[in-house]
Amino acid sequence: MSVASDINLKQVLRKLEYPVCAKESLTKIGELICGRITSIKNMDLALDLMSEFIFCEVDRRGNKKTNAISPLLELQLLEILFDYFTSATNESAKNTVFLSLFSGTTAVLRAGILSKLVSVAAGIPSPSILVSASTWMQQLGNTSIHSCKLAESLVTDYFALIPGNSRLKTLPEIAPQFVANFLTAVAEIYFMDHKKEPTFPPYNLLETITNFISSNSSLCIAAQQRQALLPPGAIAMEATTPIAGLFRWCILAPLYNQNSELYSQLHLALLDSLLEIPYTNPPKAVCAQHLAAPVRSIMMYFNELKKQNKSLNEIIEDAPLQKSLDRQAQAIQVSLSVRCVYGKVDDLLNHLQVLPYNKLMKIVIHTHKQIK
Amino acid sequence: MDLDVDLDISDEDYVIERAKSSLKTDSYEAKAWMITAKTLYPNNFGVQFEAYCIEKNAGHVKEAAKCFSDLIGKFHEKPELWKEIESITTALRAESDNNDTETQFLCEMFKHISTDVQHTLLLLTANHCEDTMEHCRLLLLLLQRFPIAITSYGSRLVDTLISAEKHSHNGSYPLNSYRKLLVCDLLPLLANEFSVKLDLSSKLLYKILNKSIEFYLCSMGFLGRVSQDEVKIENGWEKLFAVVEFLGKQLCWDPYLIAFNNSWSKEGYWQKILTFCQLKQSNIDEKQLVFCLLLFFLYCLDDYISSLTPESSPGQVQTAYVLVETFLDPTLPAPPIETKFKRRRSDADSLYPHISVEKPELKHIINNFFMSTSCWEFLLTSENLHREFTKLCSHLKIDVFLTGFIIDYMIYKGRYEDALPYLQKSNCSACFEQILLIIPLLPANNVGNISTTLIVGGGQRHLHFLPLTQLVVLQYCVKLLLRCVTENMQKHNYNELAIGHALVLTQLDWPQEEEFIPPLMEKIKLHGSFHYPLFQNYIINVDILEELTFLWTNQGGQITLEIIPHLGQRRIGTRGADKGAKEEIKQAIRRQVARSNEKLDELLVKFITHERSQILQVLM
Repeated sequence: MSVASDINLKQVLRKLEYPVCAKESLTKIGELICGRITSIKNMDLALDLMSEFIFCEVDRRGNKKTNAISPLLELQLLEILFDYFTSATNESAKNTVFLSLFSGTTAVLRAGILSKLVSVAAGIPSPSILVSASTWMQQLGNTSIHSCKLAESLVTDYFALIPGNSRLKTLPEIAPQFVANFLTAVAEIYFMDHKKEPTFPPYNLLETITNFISSNSSLCIAAQQRQALLPPGAIAMEATTPIAGLFRWCILAPLYNQNSELYSQLHLALLDSLLEIPYTNPPKAVCAQHLAAPVRSIMMYFNELKKQNKSLNEIIEDAPLQKSLDRQAQAIQVSLSVRCVYGKVDDLLNHLQVLPYNKLMKIVIHTHKQIK
Repeated sequence: MDLDVDLDISDEDYVIERAKSSLKTDSYEAKAWMITAKTLYPNNFGVQFEAYCIEKNAGHVKEAAKCFSDLIGKFHEKPELWKEIESITTALRAESDNNDTETQFLCEMFKHISTDVQHTLLLLTANHCEDTMEHCRLLLLLLQRFPIAITSYGSRLVDTLISAEKHSHNGSYPLNSYRKLLVCDLLPLLANEFSVKLDLSSKLLYKILNKSIEFYLCSMGFLGRVSQDEVKIENGWEKLFAVVEFLGKQLCWDPYLIAFNNSWSKEGYWQKILTFCQLKQSNIDEKQLVFCLLLFFLYCLDDYISSLTPESSPGQVQTAYVLVETFLDPTLPAPPIETKFKRRRSDADSLYPHISVEKPELKHIINNFFMSTSCWEFLLTSENLHREFTKLCSHLKIDVFLTGFIIDYMIYKGRYEDALPYLQKSNCSACFEQILLIIPLLPANNVGNISTTLIVGGGQRHLHFLPLTQLVVLQYCVKLLLRCVTENMQKHNYNELAIGHALVLTQLDWPQEEEFIPPLMEKIKLHGSFHYPLFQNYIINVDILEELTFLWTNQGGQITLEIIPHLGQRRIGTRGADKGAKEEIKQAIRRQVARSNEKLDELLVKFITHERSQILQVLM
């Protein structure tokens, strides 16, 4: 395609009203980037078309528009995107277009549209879009800031705005990979002590997640069990499972006085999920480093107790601390026993030794040091 | 939480203890501890078993099943586990009446165990079991649940059952428990598996065949009465045929002979046997024919015997029928030929008697009899067949069962001499003795009606299936006695007593027996007088009274009637008394006519029982 035809194409599109031009350019973009021969030039053209005709971020001269797309146009755009992605039959092409519309560089800018699109897809539900969204989370990293943003907006839509949570009840069956990636991202939002004041998952979110995992013990590894279909040449990113992140919730909950029985249930569901993980060599379900993540928070809590002038015995017998350590030790024990931990297990075990005394932890560390 | 216990308690016990103690407060936490314990000590039986017990006590079926599967895979030599395995197999067998929660739980749990583990469990239990019966039951359970195991264990279980039966204390009793398991449970199970080929010698297969036949015959009451607590087998024949079909297949019998399928019928099968015998190759194993014929014969015989006592309609007394030689009247036209077996008539008409039944709906008795007869005669045609058949019969001890049929057959053939060994010696007076024995046995609760089918015309013999009701049996006896009396009369010149008895006997089946009257009257007329002291007691039939009175009148020949006791002595006295005597006879006859509505059956029973010596006199 020559430069002239590029300009022609743009001119033709410019004659069209929104949202017709958006719809047309979406089709063109699909042709440009999913054709058999793709070139940098085509890619550039596609990117131009996106920002000018779809998201209306630049004018015809390439200048950034100051005012954002109007809510009405946004609604029309959502409809066009929804139709486009639900009617696309080729999964790889669909994922390719999705990934270029919301690439790493543009994701922040287009996060609003993306989260609305995914939110609609989760509510309808549209497995087709959820598959693309899942692929997107995975390629950009399902614990990345982008994924967390998306997860956060879904939580807002479905758990903050709507009190009931029945809408998403069947989502694990409809889009298990998406749910797994969503869980991984959502786990990173709460119980984060590097923030000034850690936040905790709303009750109905916690309840939904617990039910998901309790009733479907292979949900956590769903994203690892099905390879996303990517554009040719793209490198597939391994999905992180939500296991370590959600364990962190359960382990830290007692320390933050989060005493809902749901944490106990979720903790059990996660242990059960571990038992169901098929053996792989090398292991890939849980990262040793992620398992060690709660140690820092526990130590912080421990140091707080020390500051309160308590005796060492009193501190060690602190019920929340022991409960937290019990859960930590259980998570470690079961993960190691099913041999699904990758990364530096020795470092993990050494790291655990700095924790305050806990009988189970002592047994677990002893057992696994012995096995080595 | 008490951390001081740390020093006194082993790591294993600590973890289990935590699981148990948290069970009261937080079941999720308890399970988390359990999982931890199980993964920490995968090879510690105590820990694993405890985990199972905790799940079981908490009523968690799936979890308990999982724990149990782990246990049986690793620790099947532990006695505690054995106790549990036994409870499970016991529960499985009691499944039908599961009121017990533990039983229910264990059965439910068994369902959640993978089939591999289920299989292992049953096999292990069976092999572990010291009681043979128990062992066999468990193996059967295994085969029932896992037909795939039949190839490996089917033949062995058959073998075990046979030798267990041999060594058991009541092994010679056909309905022993091992036999029942073999014949009623195992063989049908094997027969259901289409392609099963047992790894057993043909000698053993024949043994099983014999045992099966013996079992079913016995359970169906062929070999003496089956006591109440014994197994009652429904559809015994169907099951026996299925077993024979299966064993026949194993013995490579002609599939043509052992196809006892749904469209099976007696007539069809009989034709099959006939064709098979016509076409059979000389080298064929005749054993299959003997077995099939024997079975078929017994089946037909069973049909015949049961048709002799048909089901009665509700509220009615059941009536049995017995084949007897009955009566002929050559002056009447021969009955129409209508049985299926009419072709026999053409060859030698008189050889084959006419067989009649009381009513048309009983005609199947005749058909059943003929089918049994055909089989029986076929078995006698070949010496080889007969020898094998006799051997089988004596082995199965069914001779007694055949007796009734053989008598019927002999009667049918007219071979009374051959039938006699089965019956008592018979002549006229012996016949009367038998009648005297029968009279008190007449079924008072099943009166019935006088039969109209005891006599047919024509010249061939007439057999009849006699209903065993009070009236018909009496009728038959009276007719028989009447014929004995009249037959015996020929030996003597003039026997007034016999004539009198005959007159009494003709009354019951009146007017059927009217034909007897004219020759009797002729005899009286010729002799000129008739002396019968029992006249006033037993002769009440108006027609007979009329005939006698006529003979006594001037037109009739003025014979002397000595029918009033002691009247004769007075007559000898003075002639003037003669007129008074005449009047007395008139009076006597009027009195008899007045009694003509009395019940004849009661009158004749009275006659036979009270006048036995008088009757015996005329039968000598």
